[in-house]
Amino acid sequence: MSAVRRNVIDVSEMPHHTFDVGEPVWWGNWGLLAIETTMFGIVVATYFYLRQNYQLWPPPLSTSPQPFDSLPDLTAATANVVLLLLSCLPMIWADLSARRGNQRGAQIALVLCLAFGVASMVLRAYEFRAVKFRWDANAYGSIVWFTLGLHAAHLLTTTLEAFLLTTWAWLREFDMKHRVDITVVAVYWYWVVIVWLPLYAMLYFVPRLG
Amino acid sequence: MAEQTQEQRKELETALARNPELAKQRVQTGVRELDEAADRRELARTWAKGRGLYAWLTNTEHKVIATRYIVTSFIFFLLGGIEAAVMRLQLARPESRVVGPDLYNQIFTVHGTTMMFLFAVPIMEGMALYLVPLMIGTRNVAFPRMNAYGYFTFLFGGLFLYGGFLLNVGPDTGWFSYVPLAGPAYSPGKRVDIWAQMITFTEIAALVGAVEIIVTVFKQRAVGMSLNRIPLFVWAQTITAFMIIFAMPAVMLASSFLASDRLIDTHFFNPAEGGDALLYQHVFWFFGHPEVYIIFIPALGFVSSIVVAFARRKIFGYTPLVLSLIATAFLGFGLWVHHMFATPLPQLGQSFFTGASMMIAIPSGIQIFCWLATLWGGKIRLKTPLLFVIGFIVIFVLGGLTGVMLASVPLDLQVHDTYFVVAHFHYVLIGGAVFPLFGAFYYWLPKMTGRMLSERAGRWNFWLMFIGFNLVFFPMHQLGLKGMTRRIYTYLPETGWGSLNLVASAGALIMTAGVAVFILNFLWARRRGEVAGDNPWHAEGLEWSTASPPADYNFVYLPTVQGRYALWEAQPDAPVVVGLKTDCREVLVTSVLDAEPGHIYQLPGPSIWPLMLAIATAVPFSFGIFTPKAFAVGAVLAFAAFFGWFWSNPDSENAEMRRTVAPEPPRTSAPADAARPPRPVEEGA
Repeated sequence: MSAVRRNVIDVSEMPHHTFDVGEPVWWGNWGLLAIETTMFGIVVATYFYLRQNYQLWPPPLSTSPQPFDSLPDLTAATANVVLLLLSCLPMIWADLSARRGNQRGAQIALVLCLAFGVASMVLRAYEFRAVKFRWDANAYGSIVWFTLGLHAAHLLTTTLEAFLLTTWAWLREFDMKHRVDITVVAVYWYWVVIVWLPLYAMLYFVPRLG
Repeated sequence: MAEQTQEQRKELETALARNPELAKQRVQTGVRELDEAADRRELARTWAKGRGLYAWLTNTEHKVIATRYIVTSFIFFLLGGIEAAVMRLQLARPESRVVGPDLYNQIFTVHGTTMMFLFAVPIMEGMALYLVPLMIGTRNVAFPRMNAYGYFTFLFGGLFLYGGFLLNVGPDTGWFSYVPLAGPAYSPGKRVDIWAQMITFTEIAALVGAVEIIVTVFKQRAVGMSLNRIPLFVWAQTITAFMIIFAMPAVMLASSFLASDRLIDTHFFNPAEGGDALLYQHVFWFFGHPEVYIIFIPALGFVSSIVVAFARRKIFGYTPLVLSLIATAFLGFGLWVHHMFATPLPQLGQSFFTGASMMIAIPSGIQIFCWLATLWGGKIRLKTPLLFVIGFIVIFVLGGLTGVMLASVPLDLQVHDTYFVVAHFHYVLIGGAVFPLFGAFYYWLPKMTGRMLSERAGRWNFWLMFIGFNLVFFPMHQLGLKGMTRRIYTYLPETGWGSLNLVASAGALIMTAGVAVFILNFLWARRRGEVAGDNPWHAEGLEWSTASPPADYNFVYLPTVQGRYALWEAQPDAPVVVGLKTDCREVLVTSVLDAEPGHIYQLPGPSIWPLMLAIATAVPFSFGIFTPKAFAVGAVLAFAAFFGWFWSNPDSENAEMRRTVAPEPPRTSAPADAARPPRPVEEGA
């Protein structure tokens, strides 16, 4: 037969997964996050570009009895920031459980994450209401709604990803592939929270600083 | 007992996953007896394409997907070319009535949009997706299903644009669709909506391809291919992929803002409500200028490969070449304002962007001199690919010279929106991308099809294109200086532009003949071309160590690399990688810097979910021009598709496929276990 003797590197004993930099999906996720971060960067640039066109930002309301009270309301927004920061705790728990192979821990932590994700989206709905202009009122309304909406879309995406992994962790084997996936979704989740902090500062405090 | 070993296995898995050093110690080296024929048979079964429509729709193999990208975008190139020919026919003489102004507007818009978004970017990515895995010695890209998804979204985007064009709702505001012309006030109807949505979703395909290339290059290189040994082509494609990641989001935002201004009455670009028309230009060109380099840098990769193969020597200045690619990529992001010199910008800003635009000549110059030095010291074989490279150098240098001229604000203001600019960017883009691309076709098609293209027809092809191109575009410099503005559908005889336009149109005929020769050459070669063999050019890259065309699995044993020029510097006793299962699609993941073995990576097999997700993406972007509700429907569909994607186990799909192809039970190795002895020598003999 065609058997030949050759020098070899035998990798049959090597594992199928490693966490973090070893894993292609970890890099793929960072590629996605680089794209999304760029996107938010340009959104921020757009916000400040449009800001230049205004004497007052946001513009005064023409119909309200208090024409200068057009600032976006802080309550829901700040509550949401606190909520998002707290949501990192169950995600860290899920992340560590996945690394350690603690299935029960991951199951509970992921369900908590889902609860946080849904609560944050509910608060986001209130944030839209707290903006005194609709998207079609003026350029200020357009960019604020766009920013809130774009971030909400990411919030929705990461919550749905967490949902998929939750179902897997409860219904299927707690295998290495999906343990790695949990650690990768955790990165996405942290990113969704962290990217919101400058956006929150921009949307709610740039108007207040004048 | 079985429970306990299960438990132990899990603990071992966890320990290895958390400690890469431990994993690395499990590599074994030595001499083995390998039954290559048996391994080939089994790999062929595992990676089989399958037959029928369903197999076609579910295929996720990189060469298949890449071929689809290349063929589809080449068809778009021909369509864009036909549009160009119609424009040349119309402009051949004054007061011509071949097409009316409205159709002419649509034609030049669809021509530009096609060439930029449906031809140039996807065909370069297609070449990358085909060649990169072969050049770095792996079996498929990192995320095969995402790859298939990218192709389908690109295809749907192209069909959407041309569907509109055929129904007389082709966009008609130029390939960059400036507001306010493209805004709701001046462009009612659906034409610009089609443009805006098409942009957003074809860019998804470009971004997917970019992530694909980066991760594949970072994580799946052959053992020994450290960063400083990556072929220049792969460098070029990786750098391009990074540019795509940082540039494409801008155009997606620009087109999303535009679409939302048009569809849901936002005011991003409406000055009456605090918006700003110039904002559009900034966001668009922040993508648009890097776009030029996204098209051009892959072509530099082609040129480097071809120059090395036909000068038959190592490249002169590998490190400066890589560094100038990176420098070009960085500078490319600092140039966008030079497209906007005719707008009211601060003087300081204009000077800055003039400086940056001129600076780009430095890395470009370094590259040209490195290639010339390589050719200078080489034993040159003047085959068709090299002819195209020389054509590229000549044309691109001319285009670069007008580029330096246009970087100066006073000259730019004078010739802004004239045929001088049209001449400039066709010199840069056709010279910089299309000529190297045709060279690449002549160089790599033998690998892809297994047949050589005719050398004689190749020379005809080159000279017809070269002469035709210069006849079309060189007179346009003069026409621009004489004041002929771009995008006019006709002109009066008194302008005196008639004769130069006639020359340009005659050139278009010759250029068309050149492309026709290529197509005939290709069709002839498919049937009657000389059989190429593995390495017809005696070139150095790993792709030439595979069969022509490569087997579905690319390599029987993943190769290892001992130098920058994989085949030229290969040692006869170089080891190969064994121990990957042959009954499922496995590759080896290596470290980013030094390409040391990291772990085994199991790739998914065929899957229908990429197509489903692409359809879910197409719904909001096409029906979204009629009602925003389509976006809600699309989100639900997309989630359903993700759900199917997530729950379908890639390995089970593989196994299912094997069952239908071959009923015999697969040969599997036992789960990883520390105590397991190395594979005995007899196995496989």
